Amino acid sequence: MARRSATRRVIVTHPPGIHARPSLAIVKTVREFRSKVLIRSGDQEVDASEILQVMSLGAPHGAELSLTAEGPDADSVLEALGRLFADNFGLSPP
Amino acid sequence: MIQHMELAGGKVTRNGDTAGNVRVYVNPDENERRYLTQTLKLDEHTLASALDPDELARLEFEPEHVAIIFKRPKNYSSEDKFVFKMASTGLFLFPDKLVIVLSEDVPLFQGKQFARVSSLQDLVLRMIYGSISHFVEHLKVINAISDSLEEQIAASMQNKYLLNLFSLEKSLVYYLNAINSNAKLIERLKLGAAKIGFTAENLEFIDDLIIENGQCYEQAEIYSNILASMMDARVSIVSNNLNWLMKTLTTITIAIMLPTLVVSIFSMNVEFPGKAHPWMFWLILGLAILSVASVRLVWRWKRW
Repeated sequence: MARRSATRRVIVTHPPGIHARPSLAIVKTVREFRSKVLIRSGDQEVDASEILQVMSLGAPHGAELSLTAEGPDADSVLEALGRLFADNFGLSPP
Repeated sequence: MIQHMELAGGKVTRNGDTAGNVRVYVNPDENERRYLTQTLKLDEHTLASALDPDELARLEFEPEHVAIIFKRPKNYSSEDKFVFKMASTGLFLFPDKLVIVLSEDVPLFQGKQFARVSSLQDLVLRMIYGSISHFVEHLKVINAISDSLEEQIAASMQNKYLLNLFSLEKSLVYYLNAINSNAKLIERLKLGAAKIGFTAENLEFIDDLIIENGQCYEQAEIYSNILASMMDARVSIVSNNLNWLMKTLTTITIAIMLPTLVVSIFSMNVEFPGKAHPWMFWLILGLAILSVASVRLVWRWKRW
């Protein structure tokens, strides 16, 4: 299957930012897909399937993140992550 | 800071600047504290307890209201260094209003449990349920972090991952204490149901809370036991990884030392037989290479 790469920008609208529970939600979502996803916040880039790395981002409310996916289902994983961010990880009203 | 809210139509909504039947005080300032203690007659000690993260959960019956202090996990931030902290929340239930006092601004009425709230008493129970769910979610996060740290430890020679695991272990002990403290509060809520004005439906919900909180406690206990019992094994793995590195470095040192010895002997500023022989350079080089090969052979023979 052809590997493809896709990028998407998201904004953290969840008031406390990306803390423990949002990090777990991101990791769980990414692990459902086969593509590798990187999250970039400023100069820092982390593997979205590693909870230690995602938590180390410490992205606050309003932060703009760049999600880059590479793999056979790159579009689908970014779509799912986009929904997760838009839904504030199911933790606060969007 | 005060947030005015209104419980109406089964939902809690923001009420702008108009006082509603739900008032949230986030880290109240001096004026707000004075209002709470003098006008609403909240006990000063209980009010301080609502803002103290080390205070245990409890229930107090005052002449005009019921004071409930319960424990909830604090939202984790990257500066917490794997220490999951706790906070207290104070609920002061009056016949016509609910005053909520907490130390930090957090999204309070999140989750599907707040979709259909029947009364202020029901809202109190749903907030406690929200705290239990928050604990359960954090336990899942702690478990995921612990798995990730274990993977790192398998190939690590540093103490930092072990120290992170110690922090997780410490967090779990605090969580166990807080969940246990909430359990006692829920039991007391059940015993004081008539005084608080809980309905039969509320009592059923309290029974659910007891079960949920019990399961949460057991889960925390299992994770805590696993972390504690495996810690010695993890320390040994890190120590063993360091031993492997030392062994590799020693091998390299010996492999370099022997040819150096051979070449040094022939470098002495004395006459030795065959010094002027045209093949002598290659002979010395051959001896040096042979010494390296002999080290390798002994290494394999001894299965080091």
